[in-house]
Amino acid sequence: MFLLKTKLNRRKFLAYSGGTLAAGAMATKFSTIKAIASEHGKQSKEPGTKTVPSACAICVNKCSLFADVKDGVIHKLNPNHNFFKSRSMLCARGNVGAKVPYAPDRLKKPLIRTGKRGEGKWKEVSWDEAYDYIVENVIKLIDKYDNRSSIAFASTEGLQEEFFRHLTSVVGSTNSVRHPTLCLASNIQGYSSVYGTLPDADIANAKFVVMAGSNRAEAFITPDTIDLAKNRKEQTFVYLDPRATKSAALADKWFPIKPGTDMAVVLAMINVIISEGLYDKEFVDKYTHGFDQLREHVKKNTPEWAEKESEIPADEIRWMARKFAENAPASVWYPGRRSSFTANDVYYRRSCAILNAIVGAWDRKGGLIPKSGISLKSHEFIFPLYDRVKNRIDGGKVNFAADVLPEYIKSNKGMPKDEVAFLSEADGSWVLFRDAILKQKPYPVKGMFIYKQNPVESVPNRAKTLEMLKSMEFICTIDIQMSDTAWYSDVVLPESTYLERWDPAHSLSGVAPVVIFRQPVIEPLFDTKSMKDITVDLTEKFLQKDAFWVDAWEEDKAYMEDYVKTFKGVPMSHIIEHQLSDYPGAYKMLKEKGCFYKTDKIPYGKTLKEGARLKTKTGKIELASVRYPEAGLYALPVYQKPSQPPEGKYRFVVGRHAQFTQANTQNVPYLLEAYGHYENMLWIHPKSALKQGLNDGDYAIVKSSAGEQKVKVHVTEYTRPDTVFYLHGFGRLSKWLTNVYKVGASDAEILEDYAETISGNALLHETFVEIKKA
Amino acid sequence: MSENSRALKLAEDNQKLANKRKKAKEKWGIVLDTSKCIDCKACTVACKMENYVPVGFYNYRIWVAEDTHYAKYPVISRSFQPSQCQQCENPPCVHVCPTHASYKTADGVVMVDSKKCILCKYCMTACPYDARYESHTTEAIDKCTFCYQRREEGKDPACVETCPPKVRVFGDLNDPNSEVSRLLAYNEYTVLKPEKGTKPKLKYIK
Repeated sequence: MFLLKTKLNRRKFLAYSGGTLAAGAMATKFSTIKAIASEHGKQSKEPGTKTVPSACAICVNKCSLFADVKDGVIHKLNPNHNFFKSRSMLCARGNVGAKVPYAPDRLKKPLIRTGKRGEGKWKEVSWDEAYDYIVENVIKLIDKYDNRSSIAFASTEGLQEEFFRHLTSVVGSTNSVRHPTLCLASNIQGYSSVYGTLPDADIANAKFVVMAGSNRAEAFITPDTIDLAKNRKEQTFVYLDPRATKSAALADKWFPIKPGTDMAVVLAMINVIISEGLYDKEFVDKYTHGFDQLREHVKKNTPEWAEKESEIPADEIRWMARKFAENAPASVWYPGRRSSFTANDVYYRRSCAILNAIVGAWDRKGGLIPKSGISLKSHEFIFPLYDRVKNRIDGGKVNFAADVLPEYIKSNKGMPKDEVAFLSEADGSWVLFRDAILKQKPYPVKGMFIYKQNPVESVPNRAKTLEMLKSMEFICTIDIQMSDTAWYSDVVLPESTYLERWDPAHSLSGVAPVVIFRQPVIEPLFDTKSMKDITVDLTEKFLQKDAFWVDAWEEDKAYMEDYVKTFKGVPMSHIIEHQLSDYPGAYKMLKEKGCFYKTDKIPYGKTLKEGARLKTKTGKIELASVRYPEAGLYALPVYQKPSQPPEGKYRFVVGRHAQFTQANTQNVPYLLEAYGHYENMLWIHPKSALKQGLNDGDYAIVKSSAGEQKVKVHVTEYTRPDTVFYLHGFGRLSKWLTNVYKVGASDAEILEDYAETISGNALLHETFVEIKKA
Repeated sequence: MSENSRALKLAEDNQKLANKRKKAKEKWGIVLDTSKCIDCKACTVACKMENYVPVGFYNYRIWVAEDTHYAKYPVISRSFQPSQCQQCENPPCVHVCPTHASYKTADGVVMVDSKKCILCKYCMTACPYDARYESHTTEAIDKCTFCYQRREEGKDPACVETCPPKVRVFGDLNDPNSEVSRLLAYNEYTVLKPEKGTKPKLKYIK
């Protein structure tokens, strides 16, 4: 406001106008942006301009970038033109990365809670104080419950996550829980059951693409997004989604499919392709297992049947099937990423994989391509083998597993009732994990370390997550900003941002793999550390406490001393050199070009060579699974009719936006501005709005059995009348997320906490809501 | 140095650069294929970063417009049209400026000398494209400069460089071998509001 005043004085007679006032009012809203770190952080005075290669960390894609640094301040992050995977781009979020280290809301010092949990009273402490506090609490918990697994470790992916996983091993807990079961666990499971892996799609060369719900134009800006946009004129792109997203705007045809019925369409396409003899007979004979069973299985799944389920006309399904076969192998039913949709998700993803297989659109130009990587050398460590350790709480037989299933699928014989059939040991199943903690079954878990993840906002049913946190005796969160989870923690450790630290080299696997790394673009502005340093420091602290080692083996302490030595005081550049030591010149290329790769050409057909085996039981593409019947599951994908919202209720679906994918960028003013609104809004069809007595711009209460939220109403033709939506990551609980604290509505608050029991994935499209005028 | 002083310095440096480039032979232009645009806003955010444009809906140099052709469920048809200052060959903003703050560089970029600007906003009224804004950092009217600071290094403007599907192509319209010239030679194209006679150097492929 200061600037505006000056101007009004100097040029009052000319500048005073509606526009100026409006702009002034806008500036007030984001006044915090002015408090940049030049006033607070220890900014480098290094004069001149430099360009530093590194990599983005705002989403999972990790695009390589070149940072322009002027006089010690990040001026701009630019795309790296050597990095073919990003197609030379940096998205909106990648661009605002330049402001991340200077964000007024970021964490600057270790904090220990002084008030009640969630009250927001903290004292700034030294790292030593924070470490002592943590070590004391960890030892106390292990002793009290005689169990190292009484401390849980939650994290999400990132190049420093491996050090958090090391910390898990140092403490000795089996209870690690990661993001995949809020995201793509069912996708990995479904595709792997057919191909032994979750493949990528060769969108650059595909001629016919069907995408169902993976809103690629908004959810993530990936190579696939770009290739779809670039190929717009040459490629046929069919998009299925209850909402007319920006992907729908890009599509040749958009079908507002009835949610939860996608599998009916896929089975009907398979039916058409087989019954009309359009499948690739040679490919099917040579590379697949179980075709005859499949042929019998889909006989009943006619396009007319699928029309009744999905509301997509039978003729259109026939057209899709014929085009799919005609364009093969350059045809793709897009595998997508987040697949936490409805209860039958694993079988649905299986059906998608099968559709691609029968037309031979596998490992050939324009089809599905198995990912490959560049293997890097790693340091091998031996972590302690403690006595006081129990199996993970959500692993093995869990007698309340059926409770997480939606009612309508509980009688389905292909759905396990007393366990998660294919639970990942490292990832767990978030929904079931939290239930086990709350029930204290089979034993109490009373401590938590959380790295980079924000379960309060990312796990469905926020009230339940808060209840879980409340039941904890100790919570330590490591993050760069005060996430909602950090807000409810006892100790908060500030991590250096991705632009202030070294990160190890990492191979981005994909159709053509490439290695990236991170190096500091600027020195840390505040008293922050990397996760690597935190783990090494804490390990050192544990080594000083004999009480910590009572259930360890003699030599374990020595192993851990070796661990500390490997990293303590060793520059990350040496570690990266070691990682790349199999490839002469790779380190130099990485430092100069910002990335390392052997070729940017896609190696087609590796799995189709004579003698090649897939990682399935038969080594072939399993149209009928061999493993599934052994685990009591259906060998072939059986359609399950989803339940539909009763009269007066609506299905709530989750979705993403080009500015906000996870919950970590909603507080960035530049992105809120690009989004175009200060709060999220409820998409509701005009007919439904009329029924509920709602007008555009009203506020409504959206209510489920999990909770309720107040949200602004956006009446729009862009959604099905039975489906409503609002954007993820608003209505936050942390007061240090200034721009979104209690602004808009949280989806985690109203999402009911269902999961499926094959992969353990959460189900984010199974919630029905009531809507009333606020 | 604060964000404001950086913005001021950028404006001054660009004036100097324009002076230095008085004999430049190029004529810069952008050719756009909007069919590829997905409204991801990478360009608008990159522009703000590169040019120190403060946050706020009224502070913008470039934008993405949405064109809804039809929207009655279940038939929705819409497209996106990114744009910015058209760098007109016949720029009305320059003609109306009483202090000669607005001018055209030798290489055809319309610029504002912030020291001469008195914020009378005649140019804002005259511009048919609404491409100018009042900058609180330079205390002058400001606008897209095709990232003039990048001309010396030969780098594309930030919006062009960062775009995921590369909707925009930047180059020298005077050079028959440039990609922009080739695109114009082999595609039908149009300009925005041709009836205004402004002769824009932003060309839209049909």
